[in-house]
Amino acid sequence: MDRFKGSIIRPWRLLFQFLGVAFLLGQSFGLPPFGTSPMLRTLFLPNASCRYVDTAPTSCFYYQFQDGMTSGASTYYVDVIVVLLIIVLMVLVLGRIWCSWLCPFGLVQEGLAYLRENLNIRPYRLKWAHRELLRPVKYVILFLTVLLSLPIGLSGLGLLGCQSTLALPFCQVCPAKGFFTVSEQLLGLEPWGTALPLLAIVSLLLFLVSSFFVKMAFCRICPMGAFMALFSRFSLMWLEKDVDKCTKCRICLRVCPVDHDRVYEDMESVDVAGSDCTLCGRCVEMCPEEGCLSLSFGPKRLASSKKPGRLGFLGMFHRKEGK
Amino acid sequence: MSRSDQEGPPRYLKDREEYFSDEQRKRTTVESRKMEKRVRENLRAQKDRPAVMKYFDDIHTYGGIRVKELKEFRKTGGKVVGTLCVMVPFELINAAGARGVRVSSGYYEPVHPANELLGDAGLCPMVKSTIGAKMVHSDPLAEEIDLLVCPATCDGKLKLAEIYEDWAPVMMMNIPRVKTGDTTSRLWMGEIKFLKQKLEELTGRKIKRKALLNEIGKWNDAQAAWGRLLEYRKSKTPPISGQDMMLIAQASQKDEITRWTKKVKDLEKELKVMVRKGLHAGETGAARIMLAGSPMIYPNFKIPSLVEESGGLIVSDELCSGHRIMSDPVMLDERSMSEMLMALAERYFFPCTCPCFSPNDDRIRRMKESIHLFGVEGVVFHTLRGCHLNNLEATKIEMKLREAEIPMIKLESEYDDGDVEQVRTRIEAFVEMIKTRRAFSVKKEGSS
Ligand code: SF4
Ligand code: SF4
Ligand code: SF4
Ligand code: SF4
Repeated sequence: MDRFKGSIIRPWRLLFQFLGVAFLLGQSFGLPPFGTSPMLRTLFLPNASCRYVDTAPTSCFYYQFQDGMTSGASTYYVDVIVVLLIIVLMVLVLGRIWCSWLCPFGLVQEGLAYLRENLNIRPYRLKWAHRELLRPVKYVILFLTVLLSLPIGLSGLGLLGCQSTLALPFCQVCPAKGFFTVSEQLLGLEPWGTALPLLAIVSLLLFLVSSFFVKMAFCRICPMGAFMALFSRFSLMWLEKDVDKCTKCRICLRVCPVDHDRVYEDMESVDVAGSDCTLCGRCVEMCPEEGCLSLSFGPKRLASSKKPGRLGFLGMFHRKEGK
Repeated sequence: MSRSDQEGPPRYLKDREEYFSDEQRKRTTVESRKMEKRVRENLRAQKDRPAVMKYFDDIHTYGGIRVKELKEFRKTGGKVVGTLCVMVPFELINAAGARGVRVSSGYYEPVHPANELLGDAGLCPMVKSTIGAKMVHSDPLAEEIDLLVCPATCDGKLKLAEIYEDWAPVMMMNIPRVKTGDTTSRLWMGEIKFLKQKLEELTGRKIKRKALLNEIGKWNDAQAAWGRLLEYRKSKTPPISGQDMMLIAQASQKDEITRWTKKVKDLEKELKVMVRKGLHAGETGAARIMLAGSPMIYPNFKIPSLVEESGGLIVSDELCSGHRIMSDPVMLDERSMSEMLMALAERYFFPCTCPCFSPNDDRIRRMKESIHLFGVEGVVFHTLRGCHLNNLEATKIEMKLREAEIPMIKLESEYDDGDVEQVRTRIEAFVEMIKTRRAFSVKKEGSS
């Protein structure tokens, strides 16, 4: 195991991810104490607590965001602003840590990649040009959501009638909607035959297939990720690179689930997290140069890359080489 | 392999076997053997040399145990693959069930037959020696190869490989010399896949996923062991000389890698004891030198031995015939065949700081980092005559090092002993200069 450098950060991340999913499902399905606590009810987090779970007492942040834009004009968008501020604050402190440590979408995609890996199927690696093309797509989706939602809410435009058809544009194509409506019917939580959201089911299928072959395929276009990406470069949590130690071996880029080029390319900055890094720490685990890459919080290095054979993170998984 | 098993006429030398006189063949062989013996004895004469080093000497001995083992191996149907460069993945060769040996030559005498035939006096002597040795069959190790894998890094090697085809089957690898991200990676990956196919054809068996995984593991173990040896070089009084370290590194490209790793671990134990006893290599207060530049293949240890005989100690090198053989591990993310090949391909390509690449800023960055880690006081940059790539980079590197206030001396050498005394004088002066600087900076620190 040592010879390939095992997982040092990954087990921790998995633990958090599973706890996260348990918590969010609990919140969605209104299980006590989640459903009853008013504090947790109003916790709007990205991609979590899908509104399309019938019993959900709360919703994901993106739902709240869209809903607030369509209907919040009379209250001067106070709801939207509060929700956004909370997320911005979270990003400023933790960066996009949400994405790789908690997001259930992320976990599902990783599970699919894990399955693929164990079936011995190679991942489909996007070409550099295609990655560059994809990069802005998530911002476009975010922008379109706003563009579609805002005018509906403005009574002056007379589009209020569209509320039932055009409201919540992203939800209509969100894989979570497809997943929960279908599974609720299958589980008998919903009566059979209730109209199924076809669009969302198609995108669920696309989601499953694409992220089976391409690592983190959905993340590359996720508008919630895009929103967080707008602020993540200012966050306290960051990816630190000691460029003097970098050998340009390209390992970090090869292992990065979101193909974050910058961790490899950038030979000037100290902070190479940029907007696309989800702080999963995979590159930190795999970089073979002592102290070259680190996950850092403020000035403190939480975990740093090690020479292979010299493992250790929080001193817990430390094994001596050759034992 | 003799000419007769190959198809088609020779490209260069029609009367291949008759061209060189018996007298010349004999002389080259005798001189090569003598040279190797002389160099080996010189290495053995080093003070406080670890006993395990004898093993590494034996691996390199002219016509020694390794050659015998390979002969045996071939008798049982095994295939031996010769390489000419650090960019050929040994893991792949071993996974195919073959053995890899680096056959770049460090013998002086074979330069003459090559000169005679090729008539290019300005060509790199390592290239000439390698082809010369094959022409007159003077290197027993090179006689044992069934295939030569040669990455076309420089003009010399490009043509060397072509000429070599008159004597042994050759597979050339295209090195994408302009090193830019994605495209280069894909090009090189194609070459590695092609190599895999060639190896499978050679041995008649498929390279299995498990076998490759296993070999990568073995080589990573070897790298970890090497990494621990390096720690000893950081000490104020390193217990091991730079020549010995080069010898060890080069042995890895001839030996069975698991046995090599075991011996390196033994050596590590011995070094630990030496450190406890206060024994060290080189003279007390030796100047800490980094060796850089063109490859120095055993037995061409002229420059390193001169450095270490003149009051210097090589504590670090950036040679493709030294540390760089072992400087970058393969890190596997996923373990499907194509992902492993990609990891392997990238490991042998991207961190490689061969001057054949451009841009090659990584080289000076890595040098500076090593200078820092190993407390290097001066750099000896050696170029083989005719090695334009290293010659041109030397100038750039010297400028950069000057900014960092690290002195550098540039030496050009040929494959003969004629310039020894002249080079010695220059190195001695360089070492003296470093020691004076040291005394001066101590005084400065003391007074401030
Ligand atoms: S469908 Fe998607 S965006 Fe809408 S509430 Fe559910 S998880 Fe959120
Ligand atoms: S980018 Fe979106 S789907 Fe991916 S982990 Fe982040 S929030 Fe989840
Ligand atoms: S893995 Fe580390 S050493 Fe390699 S390119 Fe990335 S940062 Fe540099
Ligand atoms: S750059 Fe590193 S930490 Fe960021 S997403 Fe990629 S692998 Fe994870």
